[in-house]
Amino acid sequence: MKVSYNWLNKYFDGKLPPPEAAAEAFTFHAWEIEDVEKIEGDTVLDVKVLPDKSMWGLSHRGIAKDLSVILNLPLNNDPLTKAPALETGPTINITLDSDNCRRFAAAHISGVKVGPSPEWLKTALQAIGQRSINNIVDASNYVMFDLGQPSHAFDAKQVGAEGFKVRHARVGEKLTGLDGIEYTFTNDDTIIARNDNNEILSVAGLKGGQHSGISDDTSEVIVEVANWNPITTRKTGQRLKLRTDASARYENGIVPEMVPYGLRAVVDLIIEIAGGEVKGFSEVTKGTTATKTVSVTLSKINSVLGVSLTTDAVSSIFDRFNWQYKTTGEEFEITPPFERTDLTIPEDVIEEVGRIYGYQHVTAVTPETTPLTVINKRFYYSELVRDALISQGFSEIFTSSFRAKDEIKIANALASDKGYLRSSLRENVKDALQKNAPNADLLGLRQICLFEIGTVFNSSGEHLMLSLGVQSPSGYKAKLDDPTLAAALKSLGDALQQTIEAESENGVLEINLGALIDQLPSVSNYQDREKPHDVTYHPFSTYPAIARDIAMWADANDKEDEITSILKETSGPLCARITLFDRFEKDGRTSYAFRIVFQSNDRTLTDVEINSIMDGVYKAIQEKGFEVR
Amino acid sequence: MNPKPGHKHPLTQIMAEVNSIFAELGFVFVEGPELEEIAYNFDLLNVPKDHPSRDMQDTFYIEDKPDNVLRTHTSPVQVRHMKDHQPPIRIIVPGKVFRNEATDATHEAQFYQLEGLMVDKDVSLGHLKGTLEFFFSRFFGGKTEVRLRPSFFPFVEPGVEVDMRLTGDDAPLKLRGRWIEIMGAGMVHPNVLRNAGIDPTVYQGFAFGMGMDRLAMMKYGVDDVRLFYTGDLRVVNQF
Repeated sequence: MKVSYNWLNKYFDGKLPPPEAAAEAFTFHAWEIEDVEKIEGDTVLDVKVLPDKSMWGLSHRGIAKDLSVILNLPLNNDPLTKAPALETGPTINITLDSDNCRRFAAAHISGVKVGPSPEWLKTALQAIGQRSINNIVDASNYVMFDLGQPSHAFDAKQVGAEGFKVRHARVGEKLTGLDGIEYTFTNDDTIIARNDNNEILSVAGLKGGQHSGISDDTSEVIVEVANWNPITTRKTGQRLKLRTDASARYENGIVPEMVPYGLRAVVDLIIEIAGGEVKGFSEVTKGTTATKTVSVTLSKINSVLGVSLTTDAVSSIFDRFNWQYKTTGEEFEITPPFERTDLTIPEDVIEEVGRIYGYQHVTAVTPETTPLTVINKRFYYSELVRDALISQGFSEIFTSSFRAKDEIKIANALASDKGYLRSSLRENVKDALQKNAPNADLLGLRQICLFEIGTVFNSSGEHLMLSLGVQSPSGYKAKLDDPTLAAALKSLGDALQQTIEAESENGVLEINLGALIDQLPSVSNYQDREKPHDVTYHPFSTYPAIARDIAMWADANDKEDEITSILKETSGPLCARITLFDRFEKDGRTSYAFRIVFQSNDRTLTDVEINSIMDGVYKAIQEKGFEVR
Repeated sequence: MNPKPGHKHPLTQIMAEVNSIFAELGFVFVEGPELEEIAYNFDLLNVPKDHPSRDMQDTFYIEDKPDNVLRTHTSPVQVRHMKDHQPPIRIIVPGKVFRNEATDATHEAQFYQLEGLMVDKDVSLGHLKGTLEFFFSRFFGGKTEVRLRPSFFPFVEPGVEVDMRLTGDDAPLKLRGRWIEIMGAGMVHPNVLRNAGIDPTVYQGFAFGMGMDRLAMMKYGVDDVRLFYTGDLRVVNQF
């Protein structure tokens, strides 16, 4: 919610601390202020009112009230302290045919002069991003942002002499809203209609109708202020794709008791800025908020917050709130103000004490060390599995739990290729092998060896699976890849002291790891871990790599390091990796074969430029006395 | 000849490290189902029936399984565990969770969360602060400060937002000295304790939930959460 600093300051006769200081205090004692923006002559705070406090917090009065408690700076006038008087007069007929309306009040004002709003009102509304329409509509809007209570002004001519009927819409009934959009209703929607001819005037809590709105020649106004069921308001709004400042307040449960406060304030403001006089008020009440006291003890407050407050300190916080409460020994019995339906259990009050006192006073206490009573068997053995596979050159991947087509269907998928839950890891591992194969040189790998440990889903439930796969860079080669897989299984079996058998298909196999672990003995300690090493991730280039091989004869068999450093030096900054891929000895000489991979971070390399780099590499190798093969 | 060793996924490394740090304080690593019952994911956690987070746009529902969702957080495991165990309770729950939202560099539809729960007779917000300072100091290295700001989650009361600041000389330079919003936490709501069969007039406790992907991104300087789930060795083999 956008909040004007100047508007707030009206509640403090200008005594608020500067905007940044007020915003900081609010962030640490109430809730977050996402943005503080200077505008001409004012500062606008973007206040993220918490959902549980929104029944009173979505208003300048609510925020001012909380600030007054936080800063211990009294409000000059709290409009909610005194119940307003609504003079009776010729009544407006109100018929309530829907339980979704908990309170409905209306006032008839006669002889208003519709026109532009006074400057102060225009400025206030513009500061919080609201467009000024005319004095009548602006008065209604101002009161909503000031007190939180929405209202609506009708041209009395369009309401007719018989007043209002609140009812459910008939299927297919329509209304063109003030926004010019035509809305079509179902029987679940609540609307306000004319009592005489049943024509729809507005959508309850959401939007007024275009036809019955205030126009330049309106002189008779009916102001309607009501309270609507939070859930039905939200549902109708969702269906109509309509969320308004008014509906947000109903959805968050503003209390029915606010209705007379709202009506009185709108009527007074209209008379002040548009003239006219009140001909009469009417009000129908269907639901009231039951006020319940909340009891909490000092020791509970201190024990939950981890602080050591005294009874006096807690009382002084309650006093700052202006709450009614009784103290018996160390127990407080609080009667929450009518608008604060968020205070129902002791913990609600504890939170208020904690945030006002300040969480900075909570002292950190490290819990006393206790011995670990249970070792997570699945995690323990999964770690053994990882270590065994990693020792065989396998790297661990995580893949998506979603697949395009499988057994368990998601009712509301993100995208058609993510419409199902995976019933196996196999396909994902296969995809990953193929995706990684072109990067084998870049990664310095002769084979891509992967595994994943993850959950799969089928009609019998969810299962912890392990899948491993091997693929040579040019594709699966049974002769090369199957032995790697077999060695991995062997290493796995050794680690778990089990014979593990699994059928592989094109270099990929899958094991029900959860079931396997269930059969393994329980454990009493985690393995000691090596201290984790620091790693800083470097984004990889998305441009293609180019590989070149170079082989040479050396007179001795200890030249690998020397050659590597020559290659590094001469292949330059575009060299991404140098791998020794073959080495053998013959007739007292040693053959070394290296693969050099080039890649740029910002472009696709050409053969021509790599050839020229390689010319330099060959030259340097020969100059150092190696015979290039 | 032994092959060149492979690499462990960064998130598994984080999980192992988190587990070993919390194990020092006696926190037990527990798990729960990823395909969860609505009762555990929402109802028993005091999330009202009409709460916006239940809407289709946030939660994945399953066709022909009206009582199930893909868990949106690891908190259901709190209730599952407390149903079978009386206090004192100290657990962590690292696990995969799902949110039905558009993905970008900081949002994935699936990610890993770390839940923590401690319930006993006198557990306070002070213990929450102390536990987290202990954890972050070990995890990031050096001294860490934690501060709490008021917030709201249906399953805690009071609810707090947790910021942390690394002040040690060996903290990663990019993170050092700056307050970072890191997680939601609070004191377990008495309704949640009651729903799980624990007497809230005798016991109380704290709970927290944070993104493990986020921890990994901060620790390793990864700038896109989606990189963890691509199966790309150009990422994994750096770890």
